[in-house]
Amino acid sequence: MTVDMAHLAHQALFGAVAAAGFGVLFNFELRALPWCAAAGAVALFVRTLGLDAHMSLEAASFVAATVVGLAVRLLLPRQRQASSAMALAGCIPMVPGSFFAQAILGLLALTTAVEANAAAMIATTLEYTLRVLFTVGAIGTGLTIPTHLLGNREF
Amino acid sequence: MSETDPVLLRHRALEQIAMVALQAARVLMESGARGQVIHQCAEMVAKGLGAERVAFRSGYASLAITVTGGANSITRMVDVGRHAVNHQLDQGIRKLAVRVAQGGMTPAETRQEIERLAQGTRRHPTWLVAVAVGLACAGFGRLLGVDWPGFAAIVVASTAGQYLRHLLLVRKVNPFVVAAVVAFLSAAMGGLGARLVGSGTVSLALMASVLLLVPGVPALNAQIDIMEGSPTLGSARAVTVIFIMVFVTVGVWLAQSLVRLAP
Repeated sequence: MTVDMAHLAHQALFGAVAAAGFGVLFNFELRALPWCAAAGAVALFVRTLGLDAHMSLEAASFVAATVVGLAVRLLLPRQRQASSAMALAGCIPMVPGSFFAQAILGLLALTTAVEANAAAMIATTLEYTLRVLFTVGAIGTGLTIPTHLLGNREF
Repeated sequence: MSETDPVLLRHRALEQIAMVALQAARVLMESGARGQVIHQCAEMVAKGLGAERVAFRSGYASLAITVTGGANSITRMVDVGRHAVNHQLDQGIRKLAVRVAQGGMTPAETRQEIERLAQGTRRHPTWLVAVAVGLACAGFGRLLGVDWPGFAAIVVASTAGQYLRHLLLVRKVNPFVVAAVVAFLSAAMGGLGARLVGSGTVSLALMASVLLLVPGVPALNAQIDIMEGSPTLGSARAVTVIFIMVFVTVGVWLAQSLVRLAP
């Protein structure tokens, strides 16, 4: 496995930017935003490492979400009721929104596809759709497992 | 039945408990909480105010509760407004639920506190949210491989899109229509802007400009709700997510056509 440190740092940095930006949208307090950014950075760091190790996007997203879920619970024990939300904010940059849009665009395109292209288009659209489903599923599962294994205290 | 009828008085007390518990649960639901958290909150509030047993049902558009005290029970339902994400309000209601569960608060005091939280929890300034969302989408863009000229175009397009979204939602425009309109504006600005500044990743910039509309929290909540025993709520959230994305795609599709036609 070869790790491109510059690429890893780049992905972590912009994962942090995306998570902090969405933290503002979700009305996190200003003092909580660095934690959202850190969660986003960890998520993208781990996912990129996983992809570099030739894991699939879904598997890498699952591992990253699990690590983020565990990390916020272990590092922020006094804020357990807020840690789920922080982990969620950190994982938002991994939600494959562009795949989702491309899947639906593919479905739209199928209605006008010429017969010769139809099979390839169906395959691509199906691939995008499945990747969205499995990646969102992997992130949700990865976030839920630490919550239930380490105690489900939300209040 | 007289005004001092003990059954009537007990029913009135139970009704107050039910309505306050529902009010807390509704605010949590409108703040983006998971189904299990909403259930727990309603139960903590109702029991803290004196109910002996609580049964709760959460739907996407309404919440219902049955509270029991002795031989009396009462069932009430409230509707739920627009689903959003408001972490500070969510945390405020959770802390209040803990205080109520410890005992000593009356339904009237609890209601006042919920109203104070709902009206008094401040949101970040609109301009700050718009700029933060613009930067977040541009960050997404970099993760997808957008170049630096495209990054700048996405910041402008998504900031404008978020600002428009805020203006439309304040005017209570249908959220699905808002998704399509904002998707068109952001994608068109992102695509045309990226082309204008000489980006080599125009298509990616166009797509990244609408990522502010991807309902990430509801999508993850949908799955977690189903996993935690609220399949009805989770399914409703999932269907809503799919329809939001359909409307976003309509906006993106129109914007792509515009970008292709533009000289």
